[in-house]
Amino acid sequence: MDFYFGLAQLIGVHTLLGLSAYIVLLTGQVTLAQAGFFAVGAYVSAMLTVLAGWHLAPALGIGALAGAITACAVGFPALRVKGLMLVIATLAFGEGVRLFFFNFDYQVAKGGIKVGPLGGEGFRQIRFFPEHGWSTLEVMLFVWTCVVLAMALLWWFDRSRYGAVLRAVGEDEIAAQAVGVNLTAAKVSAFTIGGAIAGVGGGLYAHYTTHIEHSSFNILVATFAIAYPIVGGLRSVFGTLLAVIFVQGVLIEGLRFLGDWRNLLFGALIVLAMNVRPAGFLGGARRA
Amino acid sequence: MLDILQAISDGVLFGATYALIGIGFTLVFGVMHKLNLSYAAASVGGAYAGLLILKVLVGAAPWQVFLCAFAAGGVIGYLVYLLCFHFIPLANPLATLMSTVGMLLLIDEIIVHTTEGMPQNYPAMFDDVMLRAGEFTLRGDLLLVFAISVLAMILLLALLYRTKLGLATRAVSQQPVAAQLCGIRVGGVNAATFIVTGLLGGLAGAMIGASVGTLSPLLTTPLTVKGLIVTVIGGLGSIPGAIVAGLLVGGFENVLQLWRGVTERDLYVMLLLFAFLVFRPEGFFGRKAATD
Repeated sequence: MDFYFGLAQLIGVHTLLGLSAYIVLLTGQVTLAQAGFFAVGAYVSAMLTVLAGWHLAPALGIGALAGAITACAVGFPALRVKGLMLVIATLAFGEGVRLFFFNFDYQVAKGGIKVGPLGGEGFRQIRFFPEHGWSTLEVMLFVWTCVVLAMALLWWFDRSRYGAVLRAVGEDEIAAQAVGVNLTAAKVSAFTIGGAIAGVGGGLYAHYTTHIEHSSFNILVATFAIAYPIVGGLRSVFGTLLAVIFVQGVLIEGLRFLGDWRNLLFGALIVLAMNVRPAGFLGGARRA
Repeated sequence: MLDILQAISDGVLFGATYALIGIGFTLVFGVMHKLNLSYAAASVGGAYAGLLILKVLVGAAPWQVFLCAFAAGGVIGYLVYLLCFHFIPLANPLATLMSTVGMLLLIDEIIVHTTEGMPQNYPAMFDDVMLRAGEFTLRGDLLLVFAISVLAMILLLALLYRTKLGLATRAVSQQPVAAQLCGIRVGGVNAATFIVTGLLGGLAGAMIGASVGTLSPLLTTPLTVKGLIVTVIGGLGSIPGAIVAGLLVGGFENVLQLWRGVTERDLYVMLLLFAFLVFRPEGFFGRKAATD
């Protein structure tokens, strides 16, 4: 049973990652920076629980804040460009964050052993859950509480004036600007919220894997982040969830019996999915 | 001082391969206004395919391997077009972005699968030649890489500005609808663009393999990032821009490698990109409004 709880944790964290890209994609911006915010959240909250001995919940909050601040700071210069230029700018930012953590050492001796991030070796011994005796089921429930909260927040946004503004910007920037929408505010706020959600996801990821290193936040993670909402479709948050279950549950776990061939099939299936449903699983014809 | 000069010259020579990759990105962008994220992976894939000839023809000369990589790159380029662009509505930029990402993963995995993840030795030419001027040296193999890359760029420019296909390509990149009304088959031009960039990519992959000495699937990600950075710094859609930016990035990163070490090197390349995004988002030669 623990295997399935573990899988559910993974799906939960990846859903957060996908949702963080979803809200940015709503404004028509394609971002490959989500792995960077994910990394910032992971390192910040793990350092708070391990080095400062905080409880997980406030540490996650600070991780989310750190992700949001980073996203806001990146958002202003990066959103000077749009479309494909933004893809490249955010890709470079994500790689920059990864390289930063590749060179980042901050170790503290604690009970005879040194803990903390150590450059290329990564950050080991993030043992909040085992130290506090949380079972896999409890961890899973905690992860999914965060996921449900994030999904509810985005679902509510979609039904509010703010969501309409985001979608208006995504559909046609000039038209949105003509009716008085502040483009910069809409884009940067979506970016910031996305950064916060990615920060929470990163914090949860760091604590359930207990070991993070720079390569856990590479371009592949960033592409997964935008792949979920795109494959799932931008109609609603449930598309993202569906895509995460499809990719992590069906493609990665379900095809395990194929052994080595699984990875080959994975890329091919994404190509196929985009050929068959260019607007995503739950996407309408309108955005095609 | 000599160290810096040496680092710059080595970097600029190697930068010619970045320029080739950058041209591939920029050409597809110029013609189709699409990003082909699988391009660097396809280039490395072409270089790997070049090694296949060693299986058939034992002891094949390096130039035969390069030629094979060049041809294989073209084939892969056409396959990428067919699988990732041909059947997908071009009005949807997200769909082709995603399909090329899928292609990137697929090519990467095919490489890992067929080589069992082991780095492969790549042949080089003139690697025993050294041009010396006192302490200052120029590696023969890097010079050859540079010369071949420059030759490829000249041929590409000749193709674009001296042939009918080039004229059609430029027409499609300026006004696809008007070009179609003039009787140009837009689909055919797009496919041809992918074949030409694929050929360049295969050559670039072979040159990178020859100058590094080994090929590994780990090359694809840094190459993708460097190629995109070169594209932005040079100006999206600008071929001379990609050439200048490729040489610049090559020299820049080698100097910083000398100063700050190989682990921090790429961090400064990212900072260079951000400096360009903030102060000159259109790059060296891009049009002022070239933001989309």
